[in-house]
Amino acid sequence: MGIRERLNRITLRWLSRRLPPARSITLEQRRLFIFPTSAGFLFIATLFIMLLTAINYQNNLTYGLTFWLAMLFIVAVHYTHGNLMGLTITAVSAEPVFPGQQSGFTLRLKAGGKRSGHYTVYLEWPDAQQVVDVSVGQDTTITLYQSVAGRGWFHPPRLRIESVYPLGLLRCWSYAQLDVQALVYPKPLPASDTPLPRNDDGVGGVSDSRGLDDLAGFRAYRAGDSPRHIDWRALARGQSLLTRLYSEPSSEEHWLDWEDFDAGSVEQRLSWLCWRALRLDASGDKFGLRLPGKEVPQSSGDRHREQVLRELSLYGITSDSGEVVS
Amino acid sequence: MNTDAALPRRALWWLIGCQFYVILPHLTRVPLWVLAIYLGAALWRLQMHRERALMPPRWLRLLLGLAAGGAVIASYQTLIGLDPMVALLLVASALKLIESVRAKDGYVLVSLGFFIMTTQFLYNQELPVALYSVVGTLLLVVSLIALNQRPSGSISRREPLLALRMLGLAIPMMIVLFLLFPRIAPLWSVPSKNTQATTGMSDVLRPGDVTRLGRSAEVAFRVQFEDQIPPQRELYWRGMVLNEFADGAWRTLGWSDHPATERKLDKPIAVGESLKYRIIIEPTMQHWLYAMPYAQSPTAGVFEAWDFRLAVRKPLESTFAYDVVTWPESSLQPELSPWRREAELALPSNLNPLTREWVERQVNAVGNGPELITRVLSYFREQPFYYTLQPPKIDDDDFVDEFIFQSLRGFCEHYAYSFVVMMRMAGIPARIIGGYQGGELNTLNNTLIVRQFDAHAWVEVWLEDRGWVRVDPTAAVAPERVEQGLEEALRGQEGFLADSLLSAYRFRSVTMVNWLRLRYDAAAWQWQSFIVGFNSDEQIDLLESWFGEIKVSWFVAVLLGSWVVVLAPLIWWMNRSRSSSERLPVEQQFAELCRALARRGIERAVGESAISLLVRAESELPAGDPQLVTLRRLADELYTGD
Repeated sequence: MGIRERLNRITLRWLSRRLPPARSITLEQRRLFIFPTSAGFLFIATLFIMLLTAINYQNNLTYGLTFWLAMLFIVAVHYTHGNLMGLTITAVSAEPVFPGQQSGFTLRLKAGGKRSGHYTVYLEWPDAQQVVDVSVGQDTTITLYQSVAGRGWFHPPRLRIESVYPLGLLRCWSYAQLDVQALVYPKPLPASDTPLPRNDDGVGGVSDSRGLDDLAGFRAYRAGDSPRHIDWRALARGQSLLTRLYSEPSSEEHWLDWEDFDAGSVEQRLSWLCWRALRLDASGDKFGLRLPGKEVPQSSGDRHREQVLRELSLYGITSDSGEVVS
Repeated sequence: MNTDAALPRRALWWLIGCQFYVILPHLTRVPLWVLAIYLGAALWRLQMHRERALMPPRWLRLLLGLAAGGAVIASYQTLIGLDPMVALLLVASALKLIESVRAKDGYVLVSLGFFIMTTQFLYNQELPVALYSVVGTLLLVVSLIALNQRPSGSISRREPLLALRMLGLAIPMMIVLFLLFPRIAPLWSVPSKNTQATTGMSDVLRPGDVTRLGRSAEVAFRVQFEDQIPPQRELYWRGMVLNEFADGAWRTLGWSDHPATERKLDKPIAVGESLKYRIIIEPTMQHWLYAMPYAQSPTAGVFEAWDFRLAVRKPLESTFAYDVVTWPESSLQPELSPWRREAELALPSNLNPLTREWVERQVNAVGNGPELITRVLSYFREQPFYYTLQPPKIDDDDFVDEFIFQSLRGFCEHYAYSFVVMMRMAGIPARIIGGYQGGELNTLNNTLIVRQFDAHAWVEVWLEDRGWVRVDPTAAVAPERVEQGLEEALRGQEGFLADSLLSAYRFRSVTMVNWLRLRYDAAAWQWQSFIVGFNSDEQIDLLESWFGEIKVSWFVAVLLGSWVVVLAPLIWWMNRSRSSSERLPVEQQFAELCRALARRGIERAVGESAISLLVRAESELPAGDPQLVTLRRLADELYTGD
């Protein structure tokens, strides 16, 4: 291990000890770092030249202005520091995505203190940067996008929060390891080249349409219901959101079985299953999932799809470490 | 953060405004084409902003820079010295504006702005300049804030307010530093002003020179007496000693004109009552100072010259304050060396034959003692001499002949010139003294304001046993000049203050204007005496009066101590709003509970969640423990809340 690498690790370990991950982080004294910017060094150099001018010309007004600006710099340290202090960043949610996509992390920013907000605050991940003003008494919600890695839980990198406001002479920053994770699905791989499932229930005969005959009734919309089942006409009439219920699915019932794909590696098998699940979901068919030691009963709908994909994503992964166990 | 971010729009407007503001006061000195360059640059930049012009390519910018540098050299004939350097600075900052498209360029412009403002102080440290610069500082800080404001942020009102607050907070510590920062001697010699224009009296006197000064109401210097102010007719502010006549002009015998034995000061003996006063003089670009003889000064850097003047080593480039002790009764040089006697009698023998003839007649009648002086003065008094700011021009080599027998119309230097020539013809050592006479009393603070129109020339004659004695021939012609001042002496004549059309002095007959004028002058005195004139002597005096004897270690301790005293409340004030009282009540309760649990051996690990702590506490504490109940409630609230 190189010295540089070792130093990096030490720094990271120190950082994570000093700034432990949490779902909601309030920037406070010990979390904030501050250092002059290049503009700040230019300012200091100017002050130095001004001081030399004052000394060499014995000029009291120049002394006065130099000291005034020097003290302004000190005041700016507190203001720049104060601009981040008290800011609370809460991770609200993270979108589940497929590998190679960017997951949107929704963060809520809340101003601390009663008198002034936080201005021109930069929030940075390697892939994303956003500038926000957070006023007092008004939560600001932003979405930051970050490219994810492979299947499983994705933990976003340390968020860098930075500001040079108000004078731009000093940079105050902090790192926040937000305790938030995005679910990354297996990469869907077309399963057509794979050996046919043993008990082929037939993937064909998919019908996308449902006749009105199947309509059994309505119930109030519940989160997770497919938008395709919402009775938009009722909504247009001014009624509340209703979900259409179908008496009998016209489609066939399927089982996605781990054992059916025994030709590939674990990841390949998951990818094929994922592809098949997406296809079946798109067709509106009922399907179930059988994984070693886990079974999702046959069902359909967005909620069901999410559950199936989640099981596939987390296959062989412990709940929060994000590492593949098997 | 992206340092290459574009210069925010609003910041551009502020920056252009600021630049114009800091350049403006320099325009009285720099050539006008500098303003043209600045306006051109600003216009170009605005056209770029409106996307009607492109940033000039690199080679063109380089060419513009070189051309501007060349123009400065052409204007000043040199690049050494303060004036061309300031001009170069102004031009550079104007050209920088054109290429300022990034936020980081904005910081360069602001730094240049502060520095340009500083150079203004090198020329002038008066109160209006200081006030102007306070506003300039505010504008530049607002520009800095504008550089960091989000473009969408529609909070323009906040910028000036924030700048004002920050600058306000910086003031107490600035004062501490100003008072305590050691005033060290210059580290190296710096380029001085190339300003050719000296103001006030010069060391060469031709007829008409002092007359010119009568047209200006500018302040030459201000005086504050420790005790009683002597009567107006005694206020002779002695400056130049002019003792050599050549080519129609009177000059000062310089250091190198003196033989080695004559260079030493023949220190007079202090006799009688002394007068103590402090003078703050405006920059003259000359070496000598003004004082009433015989004068000594305890101020560092002031020395006494061989002819009893006070002088400084470097020309006065900025306002200067010095203290003086005067012994009016001391006699100057009661013994005259043969060399000096000869020097003070030297006169071209072929000039002014009529005067010479007249003087010889008088000497034959009364001898060449004090009686001759009385005789000559009464000639001036009795003949119809006329005191005027607009005397006819006399080009004749025989100036005195022409003046005392023909024109009879002249200003103080005409009388002094003629009188000295007549004295030297009679064999009495005599010389012209240039300086100021009188002054206006500001009753608001008991200072005396001496203006350029108070410039005066009189004569010193050397008399056995008495040394150099002041004689003012003008007083014989126009006694009101020395009793009441020039204006009274010139009542009904034109020319007085002709160059100061708008001077408040002209309008002092209006009571309100006059009060304001004197009020302002009193403030100017305060300003110059406490701020501008604050030097290491004053600093030591002040600190000693506060803390007793000063040691270096002590000085550092006081500096640091006062720093803490001033800074601590500031930090407290700044952090007040964000302190623990700002935490949510539930978080505060949780923190308190954690401390209580830690005392019972259940310590919360760094970053441990409330739930995890609860699980550990449940295993260690009995089920009904009150703290456990509280913890359960708080964990619940913390989890469901934010």
